[in-house]
Amino acid sequence: MNINLKIWRQKSNKTEGKLHKYRLENVDPNISFLEMLDILNNKLIKEQQDPVAFDHDCREGICGSCGFMINGRPHGPQKATTVCQLHMRSFNDEDDILLEPFRAKSFGVIKDLSVDRQSFDRIISSAGFVSVNTGEAGEANQIPIDKSNADEAFLSAACIGCGACVAACKNSSAMLFTSAKVSHLALLPQGEKEKKERVNKMVATMDAEGFGACTNTGACSAECPKEIGQTNIARLNREFIKAQASNLFEKK
Amino acid sequence: MSIFQILTSSIGRKILMAITGLLLSFFMAFHLLGNLFLFVGEAAFNGYVEKLHKLGFLIRIAEFFLLAFVLSHAYNGILLWWENRKAKEKTESYSKENTPSSARYAAFTGSVIFIFLATHWATFWYKFNYDLQGMSYYEVVLGDEVGFANPFFSVFYIIAIALLGYHLKHGFSSAGQTLGIVGTEYEKIYNNLSVIFWFWIPLGFISIPVWFGFLVRII
Repeated sequence: MNINLKIWRQKSNKTEGKLHKYRLENVDPNISFLEMLDILNNKLIKEQQDPVAFDHDCREGICGSCGFMINGRPHGPQKATTVCQLHMRSFNDEDDILLEPFRAKSFGVIKDLSVDRQSFDRIISSAGFVSVNTGEAGEANQIPIDKSNADEAFLSAACIGCGACVAACKNSSAMLFTSAKVSHLALLPQGEKEKKERVNKMVATMDAEGFGACTNTGACSAECPKEIGQTNIARLNREFIKAQASNLFEKK
Repeated sequence: MSIFQILTSSIGRKILMAITGLLLSFFMAFHLLGNLFLFVGEAAFNGYVEKLHKLGFLIRIAEFFLLAFVLSHAYNGILLWWENRKAKEKTESYSKENTPSSARYAAFTGSVIFIFLATHWATFWYKFNYDLQGMSYYEVVLGDEVGFANPFFSVFYIIAIALLGYHLKHGFSSAGQTLGIVGTEYEKIYNNLSVIFWFWIPLGFISIPVWFGFLVRII
């Protein structure tokens, strides 16, 4: 198959970027999207041009490195997949494919399709952890956890922090990411002790990083490669309300 | 966090939006019940408005709170809209297909509703309180000056209320998320109740200009 690519090229966050056109011929429909970009980059290098920068690591859809907009949608047209898990058979011969980085004020472009997602790391490092003393591994059944909560926590923990939710959101909000991280610990007894502090700090960091507010449109969940659900956002809000209410009443 | 920090955080603002929105919606339901006296007859409607006016001071307090809710809802809405714009970066291809239009146009529908409310106060509310000119309340509402005998006024009213319903469609689903109702055992009952507020109550309001402004003359 032949494809016409339009790719956002930008040298660094200090320079202006623009779309460049590339044409690739005889693309095997069974290669992955990133392999297609590898082929394009090989060609560019042979022609002594600058290859297209894009993030990738595991190429198995679990590390959260990859991700950019394909025709306006984070990770492309296929549901519940990262870019690395997307194949060229999802496109048609002579398709126009537009690639641009995840856009948000809180995600600066590093180069081309690669963006700086350290704002996510700062949200996590503000309180997205449990302070459990390390030591010998305890007896597995010491802390009983009911199955439904364990399953829910697992679904929330599936978030790979790729940033698709921010890119999908009309407000560039990081609520889905933050809510997945808050949910995953709030549902488990290990996270109980730091519950209030965690939600306060993570929401404060999220706001300080300049992400927008949530308009509850659901666009993030629709595009999330790990299908993190909207119930996480409701849970984050619930945790936030509970934390504030108990703080207000405890003090007086 | 202090109460000020809570209410100026992104979630705190959303909680304020949700609570003021819900309170205004409850008021809207009572407002409709009053309006429906128009269908009962002239004496019933005038009697109902007079009873309300007899409450005097209590009504003024209620009006003060309603205005405060409207202004708080509008202020936080504008602020959130502005902050959300600031968080965005220019994009070449962003697809809107997963964002419902009721959410995308919430700020726009809200603005139209605000203009509608301003005219509503300048006409019905003002006339009812200070400028009856010997007419009954019923005659003001159905008259041709600011009432439903004026087709321009009726059409504007119908459009504004339809947009209000559309605004509430997003508003109720959003409030369910913001107040953490989604994912609990109350989600289903909340969703059913919200249909009453964003569909049936606006339809009730619209039935008045449709009947008294248009249908009554044809039939």
